[in-house]
Amino acid sequence: MQIDSQDRDDALLKRSAKGDERAFAELYRRHQAPLFRFAVRMTGSTWAAEEIVQDVFMMLVREPKKYDVTRGTLGAFLYGVARNRIMKHLERAPRDFSLDEAGESGRDVHPQLQEQMTPARWAELRERREQVRSAVLELPPEFREAVVLCELEEMSYDEAARTLDCPVGTIRSRLHRGRALLLAKLEILREVPKRANAGRG
Amino acid sequence: MNCEEFATAGLDLGSAGIDSVVQRVAREHLRECPHCAALHENWLSLREDLRVLGAETAELEAPARVEMRLRQEFRTKHKTVKTQRAALVLGWSVAAAVALFFAVTWANWYMHRGPGLANKTQPALVHTPTTTGNAGSLPEVSAPPGSELNDAILASNGSGDFTLLPGSMPPAPEDATVVRVQMQRAALGALGLTVNEEHAGDWIQVDLLVGDDGLPQAVRLPQTSAGTSD
Repeated sequence: MQIDSQDRDDALLKRSAKGDERAFAELYRRHQAPLFRFAVRMTGSTWAAEEIVQDVFMMLVREPKKYDVTRGTLGAFLYGVARNRIMKHLERAPRDFSLDEAGESGRDVHPQLQEQMTPARWAELRERREQVRSAVLELPPEFREAVVLCELEEMSYDEAARTLDCPVGTIRSRLHRGRALLLAKLEILREVPKRANAGRG
Repeated sequence: MNCEEFATAGLDLGSAGIDSVVQRVAREHLRECPHCAALHENWLSLREDLRVLGAETAELEAPARVEMRLRQEFRTKHKTVKTQRAALVLGWSVAAAVALFFAVTWANWYMHRGPGLANKTQPALVHTPTTTGNAGSLPEVSAPPGSELNDAILASNGSGDFTLLPGSMPPAPEDATVVRVQMQRAALGALGLTVNEEHAGDWIQVDLLVGDDGLPQAVRLPQTSAGTSD
């Protein structure tokens, strides 16, 4: 399956390099969503993610020969390019604004949850989600990408290691550190309201 | 298993990548250690939150405008490349056509002009003085084929029926050269001969007997144009 997908990518890339716009569009559609999600989850900004995805594919338009078939899949290559762009973006602007942006259509991504809950419960969950989101975005980039790939993208350690072009052991240790930092941050965040409430009682 | 080992491996409890023995030991530690049990509970809660966060953004895609911009860039890039290629092909084609044109032109010029020029570069032929013994007769000098198209050619001077031009003296045979030229009949007037105005524009061939001073001394109308001359 992976090989078929890779062959398809290679064929599309060849056609695209010869000027076939449809092939390029198909290539884009096959890879844009995971790259965009990865960028959104890493930067916390859909605007930044949009620019990053655009940059990645612009590079593919202008310099398709940068991708070497013998060095891995096109998907991994694009992830690598996206990752570099993300790191540069994070160096420039550590965090633009909250991830709590609706999609282009303006709809919430989980309307069914909203319908089934009381406003108080909804607000509580929303706050909780916001805490987790903030905690993820505050992780150092190398731990953040391990958490994003393994916990949010639900990749296996092997897949994450291939994507980040590093050993599985590195992924394990980064994930471990990332989880520990997340737990510590959330513990602090969640303890503060509890203590505030206790003080009031 | 101690707490530190649990913190490293125990959080993955239940996931497929963990060895069953490690899982069993971790569960045992979990039952015995309330601190690690609390940690594990926190982790399960956090993992659920992360899963929800992942699900919230699972359907995200880049906006359509990104694809639009990229396709525009793609078109621009490949259009430019095509234009450059077309310009290159056109440039080479024009260059080849020009080269071919010049080659053909030169070949034609060489075919028609070359022998004439060759004769001009052989003054011995042009200026060969007459050496025959008969008074009034000039040496036979044959012109090369196609030379009748030239402005000045060597003519047969064997017949001797030259008409002296007004005011000129008969040249010594050894100093004279016969030159065949093509001219308009009107030009004979400049040599002092009378010309019929009705035929003044006709092209005729004329043999000139040229002295060693380079001036024509006598004129003869060869047989081909004699019928048209006055």
